[in-house]
Amino acid sequence: MAETFLLEVATPERLWVRAQVREAQIPCRNGYIGVLPGHAALLSELASGRLTYMSEDGNHALEISGGWVEVLDDHVRVLADEAREA
Amino acid sequence: MPSLIDLRRRIRSVRNTQQVTKAMKMVSAAKLRRAQDRVLAARPYAAMYRELRARVAAAVATDERLATHPLLAQRPEERIVLVFFTADRGLAGAFNTNLIRAAQAFIAEQAGKQVQLVTIGRKGRDFFRKRHFPIAAEYTGFSQKFDYADAASVARFLIERYARAETDAVYLLYNEFKSLISARLTTVRVLPVQPAAAVRPVDYIFEQPPRELLEGLLPRYVEVAVYQALLESVAAEHAARMTAMDQATNNAAEMIARLTLYMNRVRQASITKEIIEVVSGAEALE
Repeated sequence: MAETFLLEVATPERLWVRAQVREAQIPCRNGYIGVLPGHAALLSELASGRLTYMSEDGNHALEISGGWVEVLDDHVRVLADEAREA
Repeated sequence: MPSLIDLRRRIRSVRNTQQVTKAMKMVSAAKLRRAQDRVLAARPYAAMYRELRARVAAAVATDERLATHPLLAQRPEERIVLVFFTADRGLAGAFNTNLIRAAQAFIAEQAGKQVQLVTIGRKGRDFFRKRHFPIAAEYTGFSQKFDYADAASVARFLIERYARAETDAVYLLYNEFKSLISARLTTVRVLPVQPAAAVRPVDYIFEQPPRELLEGLLPRYVEVAVYQALLESVAAEHAARMTAMDQATNNAAEMIARLTLYMNRVRQASITKEIIEVVSGAEALE
C-alpha cells in the first residue's frame, strides 16, 4: 500500500495545497475524519474548522469553512468555500 | 504654409498624448498580468468542482425527486435574463462595442420573447439605459476590484429569480480571454443547470444523503460560472486596452516623425528663401 496520498485543497479563488501527505484530519459536518492512505471512497460536506495534514516536511494546518471533501483512490480533494493559513 | 511655432506646438501636444497612452498601456499590462494569474489560479477549483458534480450526479441519477429541484426545472424559454459583462471604462478598442453589438444581436434573435438584462460594468448599462431597455439589475466597479463573494452575490440574485420562476433561462455574454490580441465572444446558458456529463458511478460512503449533497452543489454551478466569466472578461478587457493603447502610442510616434520631417522642410525652405533674398540683393548691387 502506498505510504502517502495526494491531498488537494482549493477554494474558488485559488489552490492552497497540492502535496503528497501521510495523514490528514478534515473537519466534516458529522465530525472530524482522519484520512490515511487506502481510505475508502467518501463524500461529505465540510464544516468550519482546522484542517491538518502531515507531509514529508512536517505538519501543516489550514482554517477552512464550507464546501465538500471527496476521497477517491488515494486522492483527497477538499473544495472549501474559504481557507486561510492557520 | 504653417509657421514653425504652430508645428512645434502640435508636435508637443502629440507627444503629451503619447505619454498618456504609454502610461495607460503599462498600467493595463500590469493589471492584465494580475488578471491572468487569477484566471489560472481559479482553474483547479473549477475543474475539481466539475468532476465532483458529475460523480455526485451519477450517484443520484436514479433519484426521481431530484427532477423537481428548482434549478433543474426546464420551462419553455419565454422570459430570458441576459447577464452582460462590459468594462466600466472605454479606451479599450472595440471591446465594449463588440459586446454591445453581440448583445443586440442576441436580443434580436429572441424575437417575441421577453429579455431582461443584468449588466456588469458601466458601459453596457449606460448604452441600454439610454435606450430604455429593461434592466433587472446592474453591477459596476468589478473591473477595478472583485472577489468570489461578488460573483456569488450576482449568482444568488439569478438563482433566486429562477427559483421563483420569474425567468425561464439565464445566459451569460462575455469576452473570453484567449490571448493578448484575441478575445472570443462567448454566450453560455447557466440556468437551468445543465445535466452533468455522464460518468461511471463510484461506490462512495456518503456522509450525507447524495441528494442533499447535490442540492448544495447546484447553486455553486452558477457561482462558479459567473466568477469564471468575470475573470475572463476582466482579463480580456485589460488585454484589449493594452493593445489599443499600444496602437495609439505607435500612431503617435508615427505622427511625431511625420510632423518633425515637415517642420524641418518648412525651416529649410525659409532659410533657402532668406539666402536667395540676400544673394539676389547683392547681385542687384553689382
